[in-house]
Amino acid sequence: MFLNKRYNFLALLLIGLFIYIASFLFDLQVLSRATALSTIDKQTSDTFYLTAPRGDIFDDKNERLATSSMEPHLFLNFRKIDENNSQIYQQFIRYNFPEFGQNEITNFFVDGNNIELVGNISTFSATERQKLLELDAFEIFDFPIRKYNYDNLTSHIIGYVGKPTSDDFEEFPHTKKSLQVGKNGLEKFYENTLTGLPGEITLKGNEIIEYIPPQKGEDIYISLNIETQNIVKNSLLQGIELANENEQTKNKVIRSASIVLDVNTGAIVSMVSLPDFNPNQFVDGISNQDFEQLNRIQAFNNFAIQGLYPPGSVFKVVSYWLAENEGLFPEGLNSRRGRIDCKGSLSFGFDDGSQQVYQDWKEDGHGRVNLSSAMQQSCNVYFWDIALNIWRTYEGTQNESILQNYAKDLGFGELTNIDLPFERNGIIPDREVFEDWTISRPDLVRPEGWLGGDLMNLIIGQGAITVTPIQVANAYKTLLTSTYSSPYLNIETSDNLKLKKYNISDDFIDFLKNDLNLVTNKNGTAYAAFEIMGRKANDIGGKTGTAQNPGEKNNTSWFVGIDSVKDPKYVVVTVVEEGGSGSAIAAPISRRIIQHLIGSDLTPVRYGEITE
Amino acid sequence: MNNRKITLLGPQGTNIFIFLIFLFFNFISWFTLYTLTDFQGLEFEVDNILTRQVVFSILSVIVFFLLTYLSIENLQRYANFLFFVIVSLLGALLFTQPKLGVRRWFDLGPIDVQPSEFAKVIIVVFVANLLSKNFNKGILISLIFGTVLLINFQPDLGTALIISFVFLSMLLLSNIKLRYMSLLLIFGVSLFFIFLEIGSRVDNVNLVTQYQISRLNEFFSSDLDFSQSQSRLLISSGGLFGQYFVAENIDKVFVPVETTDFIFAAFAYNFGFFGILFLIGLWGLLFSRLGRILTVSNSDFDKFVIAGFIALLSFQIIINISTVVGLIPVTGLPFPLLSLGGSSMVSIAFIFGITNRIFIENNITI
Repeated sequence: MFLNKRYNFLALLLIGLFIYIASFLFDLQVLSRATALSTIDKQTSDTFYLTAPRGDIFDDKNERLATSSMEPHLFLNFRKIDENNSQIYQQFIRYNFPEFGQNEITNFFVDGNNIELVGNISTFSATERQKLLELDAFEIFDFPIRKYNYDNLTSHIIGYVGKPTSDDFEEFPHTKKSLQVGKNGLEKFYENTLTGLPGEITLKGNEIIEYIPPQKGEDIYISLNIETQNIVKNSLLQGIELANENEQTKNKVIRSASIVLDVNTGAIVSMVSLPDFNPNQFVDGISNQDFEQLNRIQAFNNFAIQGLYPPGSVFKVVSYWLAENEGLFPEGLNSRRGRIDCKGSLSFGFDDGSQQVYQDWKEDGHGRVNLSSAMQQSCNVYFWDIALNIWRTYEGTQNESILQNYAKDLGFGELTNIDLPFERNGIIPDREVFEDWTISRPDLVRPEGWLGGDLMNLIIGQGAITVTPIQVANAYKTLLTSTYSSPYLNIETSDNLKLKKYNISDDFIDFLKNDLNLVTNKNGTAYAAFEIMGRKANDIGGKTGTAQNPGEKNNTSWFVGIDSVKDPKYVVVTVVEEGGSGSAIAAPISRRIIQHLIGSDLTPVRYGEITE
Repeated sequence: MNNRKITLLGPQGTNIFIFLIFLFFNFISWFTLYTLTDFQGLEFEVDNILTRQVVFSILSVIVFFLLTYLSIENLQRYANFLFFVIVSLLGALLFTQPKLGVRRWFDLGPIDVQPSEFAKVIIVVFVANLLSKNFNKGILISLIFGTVLLINFQPDLGTALIISFVFLSMLLLSNIKLRYMSLLLIFGVSLFFIFLEIGSRVDNVNLVTQYQISRLNEFFSSDLDFSQSQSRLLISSGGLFGQYFVAENIDKVFVPVETTDFIFAAFAYNFGFFGILFLIGLWGLLFSRLGRILTVSNSDFDKFVIAGFIALLSFQIIINISTVVGLIPVTGLPFPLLSLGGSSMVSIAFIFGITNRIFIENNITI
């Protein structure tokens, strides 16, 4: 028996239950929705990270070069900002931080999430700060301000910090919790050391429930000597001024670099690259205009490790070593004492019977020269003869690249792995490189490929070869100590340097030092630059270089100097882009630097002699 | 009438309304699962769940049409046999390996089958058969009580409750005296609480397992179950119109089993109060259409089956929503034709298929 009457009762019961549930849902979704939304907001706790102060950077005399000071900054807790009070806070920020534009403030309030940094309030008085804190959503925390005590002087060494970008997040994951990351120089290279442990602010709902203060990063001590650095920079500036006065160049001379390298340790005592910039400008945010201006003159490049130049005659030291080590001199000679007659040019016969005449920089020739005097006077013909001998002995054999291999042993063509970012490696050309280039860069090479003429160019540091000043300094250091190692700034890293010992005899080192000494003395190419030092020049040594550039660019001016022949402590390398003759510009700059290094009186940089 | 030729989709063969509303519920389920792609922090692949549900839908449509071939006379004839089979299966289930702490599914390789889903449908048919034949109600009550206990042992409190409610509803519609009915209700309610009391005092008592007790104790304490409080927040944030067509995205709420038992929370979040009214309205429309059979048919079996199905679906929806909003403890019941799940989909296809046949046999095709 099915009772329809009772079914109506059941149906009513079910309808009643459905109505009850619907009303319950209406309450949930409409009447108490706002409460639920705020509960959702409150039930999660978020952590906000406070940037930690970075470690300080000290020079070799414990002089503070970079430091972080904690300064009170205003932060805004966006969890306490709603439609009602937003206007009050916006007005407050506009009034107290006039540097913000209206658009910036509007965007700030649109994008603001959790706790955001508003600005530095270290100049605010105590009562002003008290007033700020009366507004509930404002918080004051200490925020680190990076200060570079020597402004431009250490710009390329120390670098600067900036706000991390997505690239930084990838390279340094910890920067997701920081508003500062090293962008260049030591700040970037030692980011993981310098950065501290960020502070943590835990928010539950709109209240701060936990605060863990940030911890400072580790200090680093570097081999730089700030006094030397200052003198090196002044010397470079004087040299640049001289170059602009004396050289009829199309482009103004502005770019140069100089390195003082400790021969015995590989420590960098000074490294200056010009033009430079003031890293303190980045602390408060550099204007776009200023940044573009600096970027246009390549002020952010550290030419000491990034400048790629043909080395010119400073590269002759490679074949100098090769000749001694292999006993491979100009044809017909079998020792360093043997002489050729330099008539100022060299005729070179090609396989097809044609002749090419190579002209030395000294038109009437250097006369009878041996290895020492060829080095002293930078005689190209002597070294071309070595190249011819290499070519005729080894062309097409496994040993064809013997000169390149010697260059690579000294670190050319490869990174020195100095503890600075963005180092470049340059190129030592050979048959393989040319073959690659016929495909990838056909504009750079002739279709015939690698020829004897290319080797002759290479041996005097011309042609396709490019090197960095740090490679040159390190190569000379390697020959003077028979030990290859990476140059460094951070003295903590000096213990774990990779050393490569070469079998270089003390005799050879003595010859080299003597021949370098000849360069800065009478009849040497740098004599004019060092004459002013009088007898003190007797213990100095060096090598000039004047590298030709394609097009209308003036020559690159090079000088490599050592402070003492008896007991060399430093290698000084100076390069002035478009500076002209090495003897005329780079040598006198280096001379002033060496005067400082040996503690003698400084004399102004004077224009030297034009050679090469 | 019983030998009437059945055609598949012809106007004489299928009740168009029942079939279309069945399909429409399936589409709503697909769309709701699809909207879960916007939820963050889901642990499964959304493509996968949607594909599974579409496969289940196709399967359930096939079941729907197959059931159309089963005459009501035969259904009534096999009712006792089906009941025997399902009770055996429920008994056998107690000897399987527990999965997630409960013995609720038969593991058949790629799919798990949940017999209690089918038990609900079969019990409606079985009870309808005996009530229409005026069978001894005392024996009937004992049989169903035993079955409910079996299901309770799995443990599956939700299904046990549903079967009790549906059985009591059907019993109410029969010629049982109202005073016996009241006694039965009082007996049932007190039994429920006695079980609870015993269970909370004695360890290792299988009548109500610790699992149920912990859930129930949790419920009777002042705090809501965590998943319920979260789903309540999710439903609240849906608002009047829902969030699916609005940009706001809430990822701070953690609702477990968003695709199955708690899918109503996701539905309410995405489509809001009006979406819920629409969904419940559709079910109401279906129930009012089904109610026509009670005035048209002369067969008590037809009436009991349809009324049983209405009660079954209604209680399941009511209990599911009450669970999701935290009105009652978590029971683990799917929302009919909305939750992801093959057993649930197919068992409800049985209901729609049998209903369709009853309508055809009563010459109601639209």
